[in-house]
Amino acid sequence: MESGANAPPASRGAAEARPAKTSVVFALVGSGGDGVAVLGDLMLWMAAHQGLYGMMVQSYGPQIRGGESAAIVRIATDEVLYEGEEVDVLLCFRLSDLARFQGSVRLNETSTAILEASEEGTLPEWLGRAGGEPLRYPFATIQDGQVVPGDPKNMLALGLLCRGLGWAPGLAHAALEHRFGHRPQVLARDVAALDRAFATRDVPALPRLAGHGVPLAVESGNEAVARGAMDAGLRFFAGYPITPSSEVMETLIDELPGRGGRVVQAEDEIAALGMVVGSSFGGVPAMTATSGPGLSLMTEMMGLSSMAEVPSVIVDCQRAGPATGMPSRTEQSDLYHALYGGHGDFPRVVLGVFDVVHARDIMHKAFHVSETWQIPVLVLSDAYIAQRRQIRDPVVETRELPRRKRWTAGDGPVRFSIEHVTSPFRVPGTPGGQYMAAGLEHTPDGAPTADGDWHERMNRRRFQKLEAIAAATGGWYRTLGEGDAPRGVIAWGSQYGLLREWVREHQEYRVFLPEILLPFPLAALTEWRRGLESLTVVELSYQGQLHRMLSSLTDMNGVGSVARSGGLPLSLKELARRLEEARP
Amino acid sequence: MNPKDYRSALAPVWCSGCGDFGVLKGLTQALSDLDVQPEKLGVVSGIGCSSRLVGYLNAYSFNSIHGRALPIATGLKLARPDLTVVVVGGDGDGFSIGLGHVPHAARRDVDITYAVMDNGIYGLTKGQASPTTEVEVKRDMGLAGVEERPINPVLLTLSAGCGFVARTHAGNLPHLRRMLREAIQYPGFAFVHILAACATYQIPGYAEKLYQRCEMLPDDYDPADYAAATAVAIGDGFRLGVLYRRPVEQKLATAVEKALGRAGIWPPADSATGADETAPGDRS
Repeated sequence: MESGANAPPASRGAAEARPAKTSVVFALVGSGGDGVAVLGDLMLWMAAHQGLYGMMVQSYGPQIRGGESAAIVRIATDEVLYEGEEVDVLLCFRLSDLARFQGSVRLNETSTAILEASEEGTLPEWLGRAGGEPLRYPFATIQDGQVVPGDPKNMLALGLLCRGLGWAPGLAHAALEHRFGHRPQVLARDVAALDRAFATRDVPALPRLAGHGVPLAVESGNEAVARGAMDAGLRFFAGYPITPSSEVMETLIDELPGRGGRVVQAEDEIAALGMVVGSSFGGVPAMTATSGPGLSLMTEMMGLSSMAEVPSVIVDCQRAGPATGMPSRTEQSDLYHALYGGHGDFPRVVLGVFDVVHARDIMHKAFHVSETWQIPVLVLSDAYIAQRRQIRDPVVETRELPRRKRWTAGDGPVRFSIEHVTSPFRVPGTPGGQYMAAGLEHTPDGAPTADGDWHERMNRRRFQKLEAIAAATGGWYRTLGEGDAPRGVIAWGSQYGLLREWVREHQEYRVFLPEILLPFPLAALTEWRRGLESLTVVELSYQGQLHRMLSSLTDMNGVGSVARSGGLPLSLKELARRLEEARP
Repeated sequence: MNPKDYRSALAPVWCSGCGDFGVLKGLTQALSDLDVQPEKLGVVSGIGCSSRLVGYLNAYSFNSIHGRALPIATGLKLARPDLTVVVVGGDGDGFSIGLGHVPHAARRDVDITYAVMDNGIYGLTKGQASPTTEVEVKRDMGLAGVEERPINPVLLTLSAGCGFVARTHAGNLPHLRRMLREAIQYPGFAFVHILAACATYQIPGYAEKLYQRCEMLPDDYDPADYAAATAVAIGDGFRLGVLYRRPVEQKLATAVEKALGRAGIWPPADSATGADETAPGDRS
C-alpha cells in the first residue's frame, strides 16, 4: 500500500484550481438503514471539534422510518443557518434513491459525485452537471451477484470523505468513540471500515476549511427547545410522540429528572396539555410539545389555560398539514390556529423560532411571559428547525429565572382582581388561599357566574394582559440588511436563515422578522417600513397566513406575497424568482 | 377538622333529592376522618351536575372542562406529591367523553382518588342517555341508543389494572364515607363507583329500585383476589364494598421501575426529585 492511513490525500488536477471556499455543502443520499443521518452527524461532530460551524437537515420519505433518506450537511467557517444552494459533494449509495429528492439536491460544475461502483447508471439530468467523472466506490458487498451484509456503507463513506477533506482519521475515531463507545463491537467494526476506505487512493481533493480550533457544540432545534425550557425553569413536561417534535420529549426524559423535574408520556395530546395545566395549577412551571395534529387536539385545553389564568407553554413544531399531511416536511401553516384557534374570546401569546440558537432564547421569553401574565404561550417552531442539527457557540443562560407572583394572605381575598392586569397566583399548599379555578365564567372571587356584564368585565380583564405584554415586548423582532434599503421583506420563523444569506447578496433588501406574532410588534413594523419602495411577505403557507393576518392590523395594500405550501424550504434561487414575480 | 370545615360558602344548585348531596356529605366526612388540611387538598372535576361538587369544597379546586379532569389531576399530583388529590365527576364525563383517560390513569397508578357519581343519565343537558343508562330505561323513556349495552365501570377499571376498585351508593352514607376514606388512603390510583340517582331525569322510583339492587359483599370476601373481584364485577347485582385492593407486594419491583421508568413517568417513583416528599405509589 502506497499511502498509509495518515498520509495526505492524493489530489486530482482539477481540484487544485478551486477558489478558497468558506463553506462546503454535502448531500448524503441512501436508503433507510444506510445510516446517512449518522454519517452527517459524525461529520458535524468532527467539524464542531475543529471549531468549524455548520448544520445538517434531513429528509425522509413520507413513512418516516425506512424508504429513501437524505442528509444535507453544510460545513462553514462562520455560523450558518441555511443549508446552502448547491451541493459541492454528492454521495449516493443507490441512484434510484435520488429520485425522491428532485428539487432539493442540485450540482454545479465544481461538484464532486461519489457513487456506488456496482451501479452502471448515470446521474439524472435534473441534478445538473458535475465537473469531473464521479468517483465510484464499492460500498455494497456483493457475492454471486447478491448484495450481502458487509462493511457499513456510511463508515466507508466517512473514510473517503475524511481522505478528501484532509481530516485526520484520529478525529473520526474520536467521533466514533463518542457515539459508539458504549458498544465496543460496533465501534471496532466501524473503525475498521473507516480505516479501510481512508486508505483508498485517488480520492478527489475536496474543498478545505480551517476552523478556529475551539470545540463547539452540536444541537438540534428540538434539543435547544428542551434545554432552553429547562434553563427557564421548566419542571414538568407531558407530551405525546409526534413527528417532528418527539425529540423535545426524548431530550427531557434524559435531562429533566436530573434537574428535579418530571416527564410523562401521555395517552394523547389532550391529556398532555391537561397534565401541563394541572402541574401549573400546582405552581410548577410546565410545558408540552407537539405538531399540528396535536395542537388541534389541545385547542379546548388552551382556552381553559387562558380562562382559568393558569400559565402554560405549548411548543408546536409545524409540519405540512392539514390532517396527517406530510409529517416529515416543514410548513408555516399553523399560524392561524395558533393565533385564532379555539372557541370563544381568549387571549394567548404566540412566539416564533428563527433557528437552533434562537430556540433557547425564545423559550426563556415564553416562560417569562407565561409565568408573569398567567397566560398560555405558543411557541411555533417547524420541521426545518426542529430536525436540523446546528453547530453553535456555547451559551450560558444568565437571565433571571421567570417567576410567578405568588399569593400570600396579605394580598386579600380576590383571586382575579379587575383592577390589576394579573393577580398573585394562589399556589396549593398556601394556607387560606383555597379557591376554585374554573373554565366556567367566574367573578373576581372565582365563583361561577352566568351574568353577561361579568363576562364582559372578565373578558376585558383577561384581554388587558395583551396590552401589557405588547408594551413589554415591542422590541421582540429582528431586522436584517441596511435600514435605508429600498426593498422590504417581512417573514417569520425559519425563513430567518435563508433571508440572512439573501441580504448579504442583495443589499437592496431589508428584512423584518417578528419574534412575537401575537401581540404583533406593530409600532416597530410601522417605523421599519418607512421609505420602502416595495414590500413582500415571504412564508411557507398556501393561504399566506402572515400576510392576511397583517392585513387585519395595518395597511397592506400593494404589499406582495410570496406564499407557497411547505414540503421543501425555500432556496435562494427560488426566492429570487418568486420575489421578482411578486413585485407589484 | 369537622366535615363542615371542608365546605365553601357556595350553596349547591342540585335538584332536590339528588344523590350528589350525599356524596358531598360523605366526602367531607371522609376528609375529616383523615384530617386532610384544606390547603393541602386538590380537587379536580370536569363538567356535569356532579362536577359542580368541587365548587362546594374548601380546597384548591379546579372545575375544568368536560372529560379532562383525570389528566389535570395527574399533572397536579405528579408536580405536587405533597397534596391529596381527588377527582370527582359523572358517568358521562368519565365514561363517554373522558373514557380515553380512565385506563391510562389506572395503568399509570398515580396516587389519585377518582370518585364517579353514576346516575345513568345526562342531567345537566336534561336527560339524554349516558354510557351507563340501562337498556330498559332507554326503552321506557325513548332515549337514543336502546340497543347499546351499558358500560360496566368496575369491570372496566379492573381490566385496566386499577389497584383499588370499590362500589358504594349515595343512599348509604356511612358506607360511602368509608369507601372514600379507604380510597384516599390507598397509595395509588383508586376508583370508587358511586351509584347516585338522578331525581329529575330518571324514571320514577329509580333511586329506590337502584339502591335495592345493591348488596353488600360478604364479610369473608377477600379484596386481594383479583379473579374474585372480576367475578363480582361481571355478576348481576351491584355488590357494594372494596371489590379489589392490590396487595403492596404485587406492585412492580422497584428495580424494574428504576430501569424502565414507571408507566411512562420519568423519573421512576422512588428517585429523589427535589421537592418530592411522597413519590406517588410509594407511600404504604
